[in-house]
Amino acid sequence: MASKIFLVAQREYLENIRTKTFWIGILALPILIAISIGAGFVLNKLKETKTYAVVDLSVAKLAPRIEKQARSTDMAGLARLLAAKPDLAKAFEPIAKDFGSDLAKWKPTEGDGKQADHELPEELKDRMLEAWLQMPADDLARMAEGNQGLDTAKKFRLRSLQDLGVAELPVEEQQKRLGQMVKQGQLFAYFVIGADPTKSLEDFRYVSNNFTEESLRKWYGDAATKIVQNLRIAAAGIKPEVARTLKEEVRFAQKQSDETGTTKDVTVADKAGGFAPMAFVYLLWIAVFTAAQMLLTNTVEEKSNRIIEVLLSSVSPGELMAGKIWGIGATGMTLTLSWVLCAAGGYLIAESTIQGMDLSMFASAIDPLYLASFIIYFFFGYLLYAAILVGLGSVCNSLKEAQNLLQPVFIVLIVPLVSMMFIVQEPNGLFAKVLSYVPLFTPFVMMNRAGGPPELYEYAITGVILLASVWFAFKAAGKVFRVGVLMTGNPPKLKEILGWLRQS
Amino acid sequence: MQNALSLHAVTKRFGSFTAVSELSLEVPKGCIFGFLGQNGAGKTTTIRMVMSIFHPDAGSLSVLGHADAAQVKDRLGYLPEEKGLYKKMKTAEIVAYFGKLKGMDSSTANLKAKELLTRYGLGDWLDKKCEAMSKGMGQKVQVLGTIIHEPDLVILDEPFSGLDPVNRDLMKDLILDMKRQRRTVIFSTHGMEHAEQLCDYVMMIHKSKLQFCGTLAEVKQGRDLGIQLDYDGDGGIVQKLPGARRVNDNGKHAEIFLQSGVDPQEALRWLVERVRVRRFDYREPSLHEIFVRTVEEANAKLAAAGAGN
Repeated sequence: MASKIFLVAQREYLENIRTKTFWIGILALPILIAISIGAGFVLNKLKETKTYAVVDLSVAKLAPRIEKQARSTDMAGLARLLAAKPDLAKAFEPIAKDFGSDLAKWKPTEGDGKQADHELPEELKDRMLEAWLQMPADDLARMAEGNQGLDTAKKFRLRSLQDLGVAELPVEEQQKRLGQMVKQGQLFAYFVIGADPTKSLEDFRYVSNNFTEESLRKWYGDAATKIVQNLRIAAAGIKPEVARTLKEEVRFAQKQSDETGTTKDVTVADKAGGFAPMAFVYLLWIAVFTAAQMLLTNTVEEKSNRIIEVLLSSVSPGELMAGKIWGIGATGMTLTLSWVLCAAGGYLIAESTIQGMDLSMFASAIDPLYLASFIIYFFFGYLLYAAILVGLGSVCNSLKEAQNLLQPVFIVLIVPLVSMMFIVQEPNGLFAKVLSYVPLFTPFVMMNRAGGPPELYEYAITGVILLASVWFAFKAAGKVFRVGVLMTGNPPKLKEILGWLRQS
Repeated sequence: MQNALSLHAVTKRFGSFTAVSELSLEVPKGCIFGFLGQNGAGKTTTIRMVMSIFHPDAGSLSVLGHADAAQVKDRLGYLPEEKGLYKKMKTAEIVAYFGKLKGMDSSTANLKAKELLTRYGLGDWLDKKCEAMSKGMGQKVQVLGTIIHEPDLVILDEPFSGLDPVNRDLMKDLILDMKRQRRTVIFSTHGMEHAEQLCDYVMMIHKSKLQFCGTLAEVKQGRDLGIQLDYDGDGGIVQKLPGARRVNDNGKHAEIFLQSGVDPQEALRWLVERVRVRRFDYREPSLHEIFVRTVEEANAKLAAAGAGN
């Protein structure tokens, strides 16, 4: 008897892994993930540099100070670049000569890169910015290319009014011409800085015909805010040190505590570890659903192929069903394991090729509890859904009928996905606990809660309920399968199916 | 001699519908046994009970001396009416797979599958996928899958349906081969000529009830003799034959039953004058006639019983 189940399972497994669909399935997920990561990266790179102009109506001529503030995040990067390559560009040569010793401090060293830009002498910053802004656009782009820390140079480029040939025009005419350039696409946007920002911000304008891409407006606006704040602080006669303390935000340092009450810092890896169950739930969901659906399709096809009855002359319906479930379960397991191997391979490749990348957050995902939960819950989750779907499949004559019957199952399966974020945030909350005891959700929810983790007794009770449900589902599916698999014509009504279940 | 199969008052119901009602019959070992009946009469349900795919609601059966067919499944071969193959499997693989499911070990099954396929003219197809085959070839593969494990009892449900004359002959040979090897063959069919040519025994069920069962001679015994006529000419004239009780006219062939007391000689004389007679036989009725008559009589009986209520 056992050997017949094995024969059926073996055939299913071999036939499945010989199909193209299977190999596409194995490759699809990693490729999809790689593409979505890669595409984000590439698209970001492909974003065009946005050019903008500034009409400065302020009496105090704030534009250069705002520009400097806005570019300040890049100054440290630029200083580091200059320290490494003093002959970077002609415009920087005199600066390198004059500030050689200051620049030397910025020479890149191991683990460096966290120094704040305010450690740079103001004069050096001014000179660098001046030289930088005067560089030809192409040189700037080339310089920014492949160098970290020159982000704003890549993203935004200021074009002076002289450059645009509108410097000598009266203010209104100037704005009209700039507006035309925006319309024609020569400029992405132009800013107007109001006359007296210490009193009113009413005249500040951002003119652009793109309403969805807001990064330029936000970036320049943040810089302008800081400059205007400083102006107002100065006008109010507040000392800069006082102002700094006034502006300071309250930040609670994030710590975690162990049994003894000792606290320690929360690292990126810790945080990632807290969210890792979500990734597992997602993978679990896909794996369970893919395998169970494979089973459904297979059963329906076999039934419409009329091969079932031939098989039933040699094996019992129970053996046939069990063989199918195991064979396709093995296929699903192969699929899942290949994905895990792909992920591990990807991790190793990333670790060896991308230097200085913090991969500790991924490493934390390889928590034994997570991996064990994943494998165990895949197994039982699959068995539960497999029994349900094989029962459904056995009463359908076509895939279309099966799809209709699948809809309620699909709606049920949505629940663990929708509640995934909520449960990972409150792994031991009432909602998560209650959901754990619903056998259809147990595998997903318990995986989801692994970051908690749940109490041992919860594992025990939900485990027993899950096992009992799997047993019951197998019994019920066996009865439905026995009758349904030889049925033709309309699919039976729910009432009829319940009738079969009551029969011995 | 022990029977290969015996049924005792076997009944099977699906809800309120009775598919097989108190059916009893005996199939001796080593014979060819025909199951006759209209579509939906209960043949397939009976076969499925024999194969222990269904279990009877009442009555008992014994297959190769066992009450439960599941115990002797490996000694049975079954070709269902709805036949299918795994389209993606190669022919040799699938025949061997059926053998393995019947308990053959892997290497024996593989060898035997190739040998059988080659013997029955499918040697070039061993490594081809089933989806590439014609219907007739597919059916051959299925039959070979049914007999690869050399079963003692073979049950074929509609083995001739959908086959061309050449493949029908091949199927007949296959059935006769099995009889020669002292195996028991049961097959159901709508083709009365196959039953007449092949069967040692026939039985017929109509609307779940057994109508007759026995050797061909027994079944035909005591029935009205009839004229088997091959002719050329106007069939309308044959219908007007004086003294005819019933005429089954097929255009070139007619089966004619006379009223009692009418002399067949008279009928022949009358016919010879009006159509060109190629053959004239006065003999027991064909199985076809018996089948049709049985259905009519049974329906009339049922209608009368219905009116009586």
